[in-house]
Amino acid sequence: MIALPLLLPLVFAVFSLLAWRLINVQKVIAVLGSLVLLAVNLAIFLQVQQGGVLSIQVGRWTAPFGVSLVVDLLSAILLLTASLAALAAAVFSLAGMDAPRLRWGYFPLFHFLMMGVNGAFITGDLFNLYVWFEVMLMSSFVLMVLGSGRFQLEGGLKYVILNLLSSMLFLSAIGLTYHFTGALNLADLARRMPAVEPRGLTVLIGVLFMVGFGIKAALFPLYFWLPASYHTPPVTIAALFSGLLSKVGFYALLRVFSLLFSGQWEFFQPLLLALAGLTMVSGVLGAAAQTDFRRLLSFHIISQIGYLVMGLALFSREAIGAAIYFTVHVIFAKMALFLIAGMVQTVSGSFDLRRLGGLYRRFPALSLAFLVPAMALAGLPPLSGFFAKLLLVIAGLQESRYVIVAVALFVSLLTLFSMTKIWNEVFWKLAPVSSAGKLPSAPPQNDALPAAMWAPVVGLSVIVILMGLFADPLSEIANRAAASLLDPQGYINVVLGGLP
Amino acid sequence: MLIWIGAGFFLAGLAPWLYRLLRDKTGLVLALYPAAVFAFLLGQISAPGRFETTRWMPSLGLELSFRLDGLALLMALLVTGIGALVLVYGGAYLHGHPYLPRFYALILLFMFSMLGVVVSDNALLLFIFWELTSISSFLLIGFEHDQAPARAAAWQALLITGAGGLAMLAGFVLLSQITGSWSLQVWLANGAAVRADPRYSAVFWLVLAGAATKSAQFPFYFWLPNAMAAPTPVSAYLHSATMVKAGVYLLARLLPVLGGTALWNGVIPVLGMLTLLVAMLLMAAQHDLKRLLAYSTIGALGLMVALVGLGSKIAAEALVVTLLAHGLYKGALFLVAGGIDHAAGTRDVRRLGGLARLMPFTAAAALPAVFSMAGVAPALGFIAKELVYEGALAAQGRQALMAGLIFSNAIMAAGAGWCGWLPFLHRKPRLAGDHGHDVSHAHENTADFWVPPLLLSAFSLLAGLFPGLVAPLMNAAAQAVLQQPLSFKLSLWHGFTPALAFSLITLALGLLIYLTYWRIEPRAHAISQRLRRYGPSEAYDSLINNLKRLAAWQTRLFQSGYLRRYVMTIILTTVLISLWAAFRFASELSLKVNLTLEPLRFYDVILVGIIILAALLVVRQRSRLATIALLGAIGYSIALIYLFYSAPDLAMVQIAIETLTVILFVFVIYRLPLFTRLTSPPARALDVLIAGIGGAFMTCLMLLVTTNQAAPSAVSQYYADNALKLANGRNIVNVILVDFRGIDTLGEISVLVIAALGVLALLGLSSNLGQTFAAPRPLPDLEVKSVQRSIILPVAARYLIPLLLVFSFFLLLRGHNEAGGGFVGGLVAAASFMLYGIAVSPQAALKLLPAQPRVVMAVGLLVAACSVSLPLFFGQPIMTGFWLARPLPVLGKLGTPVLFDLGVYLVVIGVTLQILLNLAREDAPR
Amino acid sequence: MSVLLAATVGVLFAAGLYMMLRRSLVKILVGLLLLSHAVNLVLFASGNLVPGRPPIIPASGAPPAIGYADSVPQALILTAIVISFGVTAFAVVLVKQTNQVIGVDDLNELRNTDAHTEMDAVFDLDEELIEHCEEEEYP
Repeated sequence: MIALPLLLPLVFAVFSLLAWRLINVQKVIAVLGSLVLLAVNLAIFLQVQQGGVLSIQVGRWTAPFGVSLVVDLLSAILLLTASLAALAAAVFSLAGMDAPRLRWGYFPLFHFLMMGVNGAFITGDLFNLYVWFEVMLMSSFVLMVLGSGRFQLEGGLKYVILNLLSSMLFLSAIGLTYHFTGALNLADLARRMPAVEPRGLTVLIGVLFMVGFGIKAALFPLYFWLPASYHTPPVTIAALFSGLLSKVGFYALLRVFSLLFSGQWEFFQPLLLALAGLTMVSGVLGAAAQTDFRRLLSFHIISQIGYLVMGLALFSREAIGAAIYFTVHVIFAKMALFLIAGMVQTVSGSFDLRRLGGLYRRFPALSLAFLVPAMALAGLPPLSGFFAKLLLVIAGLQESRYVIVAVALFVSLLTLFSMTKIWNEVFWKLAPVSSAGKLPSAPPQNDALPAAMWAPVVGLSVIVILMGLFADPLSEIANRAAASLLDPQGYINVVLGGLP
Repeated sequence: MLIWIGAGFFLAGLAPWLYRLLRDKTGLVLALYPAAVFAFLLGQISAPGRFETTRWMPSLGLELSFRLDGLALLMALLVTGIGALVLVYGGAYLHGHPYLPRFYALILLFMFSMLGVVVSDNALLLFIFWELTSISSFLLIGFEHDQAPARAAAWQALLITGAGGLAMLAGFVLLSQITGSWSLQVWLANGAAVRADPRYSAVFWLVLAGAATKSAQFPFYFWLPNAMAAPTPVSAYLHSATMVKAGVYLLARLLPVLGGTALWNGVIPVLGMLTLLVAMLLMAAQHDLKRLLAYSTIGALGLMVALVGLGSKIAAEALVVTLLAHGLYKGALFLVAGGIDHAAGTRDVRRLGGLARLMPFTAAAALPAVFSMAGVAPALGFIAKELVYEGALAAQGRQALMAGLIFSNAIMAAGAGWCGWLPFLHRKPRLAGDHGHDVSHAHENTADFWVPPLLLSAFSLLAGLFPGLVAPLMNAAAQAVLQQPLSFKLSLWHGFTPALAFSLITLALGLLIYLTYWRIEPRAHAISQRLRRYGPSEAYDSLINNLKRLAAWQTRLFQSGYLRRYVMTIILTTVLISLWAAFRFASELSLKVNLTLEPLRFYDVILVGIIILAALLVVRQRSRLATIALLGAIGYSIALIYLFYSAPDLAMVQIAIETLTVILFVFVIYRLPLFTRLTSPPARALDVLIAGIGGAFMTCLMLLVTTNQAAPSAVSQYYADNALKLANGRNIVNVILVDFRGIDTLGEISVLVIAALGVLALLGLSSNLGQTFAAPRPLPDLEVKSVQRSIILPVAARYLIPLLLVFSFFLLLRGHNEAGGGFVGGLVAAASFMLYGIAVSPQAALKLLPAQPRVVMAVGLLVAACSVSLPLFFGQPIMTGFWLARPLPVLGKLGTPVLFDLGVYLVVIGVTLQILLNLAREDAPR
Repeated sequence: MSVLLAATVGVLFAAGLYMMLRRSLVKILVGLLLLSHAVNLVLFASGNLVPGRPPIIPASGAPPAIGYADSVPQALILTAIVISFGVTAFAVVLVKQTNQVIGVDDLNELRNTDAHTEMDAVFDLDEELIEHCEEEEYP
């Protein structure tokens, strides 16, 4: 059952590969497949929510000898979120993806990406995590440069190289961990790690993990690859990446640190708190400096990651719960914004704020569709983002970490600043006319937006609203997931089956 | 209450559609709803304190709870009453405006958010509504969004109130953590505890920030005059009558919680009076009717804040009466101003005059309001002023207070004259209409322009004449502010009290100012100009600009675009953090380097020597071929290390991979540019340093780790024990790869396939970058090329292929027991085709394949996937090994793991050929 | 040997990182190869190094006694090697294409995708680039 999120995308990918020239078949596979995946993940989520942690031993080799697949509440939440995001992307790409890319394997890569993402979420084995990371990264590499546009190649190059560096750090860290523990199974490691002597070395290994995952999660000062590349591929791909990739990095951080290094928290907490604050500020300042819709959004991804890490660093039930809720919120909000950027580009032919304008008059519906996720991201009530930030602030003040709370609030003001900046430039301002100066407004293109673009955007916005209105039950679930992270005994018992 | 508000929001969403149906009637029809709410609220005055609550988010403490005490009622009545009138008025004012539907929607959205603010009894709920008013105010100020000033004003207002709001939220969270609840009632009950708490002063400043920004107190007042860019009905409603009072409301609400301390009494009255004085001075320099009114609004807000600060009984009474009086007259005057603007085409008071004749009804609407603003009996404003003076006289520091109040009230009175008397009763305009424009042709507006203001000012007159009308409400409100029973009677005539004397003085002074206005005007102007130069508005602008500059600077610093810097940053971050960790735990790090750990073997030294030497040479290498050779040397020596240290499979794969990599490079090398030395010597020195640090760091880490004896791994012991018994394989590594940890391999071959796809796409999509993605280039014909090649090689290759294929298959099968396996087998098979590809031509090799490489690898993946998922159908976890009972003659013991290995074999063939043959084809001469 | 190996890893890392710091695209590839070798060696050294006792059960079927080479790191390295081969192959072609499309080998000239802020004066260049970008994304 819980292996399906892994196998289904693989099967879909294989069949899309076999149906290489039959684009329409691939489209059908993509949409139906995403629906099936969604159904499966929903089932898993419900099961986990009632029955607690699920786990299977691949090949019936009892843990810790084989590779265990484990789905606890956190994984289940993220699986569900990811499959919703995937569905949105799949539908949007029906209209938003150009023919050449479809002809050169967009859909197979899409499925492989999902395979990697889901694999990372469900694996209970350190090295296996690395493998799924590579699957995810490799397919993201290809998607990133698919089309070989000048800018894609340029951005893709940095993306590839920096991410490979992080993989190498990750791999070395795995090797050293194995040396000390002779184990790879996360649950097994959680038992052995505290016993490892000398303790200083485990901290050093932890640092390797932190930097490795930090690069993938786009932490300050390791995030360079993200703003360099995310604005180069088509928005569908950018949206998918913004939704999933860096969040998987954060998931790894969360999982590995809560299981392996919670003993060294007096070292990692100040470190992570500082990094979180810097990430927020640096990212949002980067956004404030941009004039390109997608670049601006890319920088916001970074500052949002800062909030997530803040939750992790505080390391209380409420804080981590808030971080999990925040993760889900930001995945949806950010995807919606990227897709809207794509719609804006479709109707007015540009991503450059200086050349856009007048959309509030031309497309009231689109303006509204933008306002919802934008305000959610800026943390305006009663949308999801407000509760996400509120929960973090409450948690922070409970731990009386005043500095990071102040930073978080300040950053959310700046987020409001740049979201309203987009609003002013793209929707309120009159579209600049060529005679007026050096800013020729891009010629208005087709005025009708295809339903395949509307559906996912509206769907995501609705989710964002609902997440706000039902923040309470949702954050309760998130808190339960957090609780099981803080006390992993249940996880360990399920995986190891009460092994001595 | 919940239903009222919810229905209001629903109506807001409905408004645009309603407009399609009702057109011009829309305003009137919509106005019925707030009017109904108004009526409902009137019913509550007799018995204030109605409370209702609905669960929403128990764990957060966010309840939909509302309380209609006196203060709430007062505000709510203002909101709904004026709201209804504004809906009517707005319909007329924006008649024919394309956005009229959006106006209705937004104004309703605001109306009920504001209603929510004043009636909610849960601080979190209050905050939600609070932010909703901010955002709807943003959208309304920017209503005429084609003009840049409107956009800027809207943005400024949102950012300032937003900043305050966030501070306030922090304050609220602290309060909720002190009192353990979000309910205002609980807060009011635990005032003493809050004031005793160490976090009190933080709470005070944070909440004050929220209130001061929202209510445009000094130094945040400047967003309010700019907000006059909004359409007049909006200014009348949001920016004078209701929203800007939210701050005052909040302070009044929390007076019993936060009030009474030295901090409160010291800060808030001063803040209020300062705001009042500054606003009055600035007002004296205005000519625009709306800006005049805006500054007078700021002043009035300052006055109210000061009254809250005083916090005495009488001050509370003064506060509530002023609240009502101001709401009435200011709303009326704004609406009138809009009417004048509409009729006369200008809002410059110097160009207005004698409108009383032309617009009698508008004048009738204006004058009572003017009296009320000036504080002239019998208008309500008079009573308010009397109470204010009484309150001030009762407070300590009364001299200063009274002086400030009299001075500013005088200007206020004069201001009333300018914006009421001057346009209507003054015979002719002070200045001639600019460019021939003349107001004398102005004519009375339609009724919906002057009825709403007329109602407002008429009521302020009535309330003045018969204070009994409003007394109960005022009483209830004052009680709600102080949270204690009190009763007082309002009356127009208090007898000869000091307050009366003072207000007479005030009026006289005001008259004086009004008459001498044109003489003092330049001076006032100069003062205001100076204030403007040093004023907070400029501070705000420069703050924003500096922020932008900072943002650009830090972005260029970090996101410089130089990959080298990025890599350096990563290296240094890793090393520095690790050093810090090492420093923190120095005591626990023990470096037991033991050189005599085991005897050094000579081939160790040789191999390591080769590797190190080659690595050092590669770094300085200029020739591309030599580089490849050196890389090969490194790779093969590492393979030998693997071999010597008992990892035969590893060695085989390493060698195979190394060979492939070399072939790969050979294919592309001549498409790659020559090696060039681009960096300057100093830069190179720096690189050497940093790279050296990185390397040294890794060495130290390795020494630290590997010299601590490795933990005996239960896992590998288990593998050794069970590989043959349970997994039917003697080659443990291979068994791990295809069985114990087979799922790793599944991911691994997926990566290979993806990489092949990537190569395919990169070459395919850009081999014709010029034309937009046309079909792949036609293959160059074979004859031309085959003549220039030898004859033997192709023939040999053709005969070699079957042999190699058989051998590769043999490798695949024996892999489970001896060194080998699907991976190596696949490579060998691929090599045979590559050989043919090189010997004859890539296309020919492709022709020999049964199917496209893409299909081969897809099939391989499918086979692997099947063998992985087969057990699912038997209710077993994936990859559970199924084995045939007895071994077959040639093939040996067969089972799903072998099937899986076959999949690997196929994938490897497909991928390798996909990559290499594509490159080869690229390489083929045109 | 573990000491020697540590030294080797260090040198390989240093060389690889140095190559990663070059401005020339091609050299970056060399850096990648060196680094992946280094990482594999780290993995290899993380098991105990035993010469000449491969983890293969003799035909007799007697399970290998203690002291045989640790089979797990070998399996991990095998996977890692293959993965890094896939990545390398892709990277090589990527560099080749970048080179073909953009026509420069100097990474310092590949800064158009990130060193851009509102304050940047070079507007025309930027505008031209944006044009370029768009027509490539939606042909």
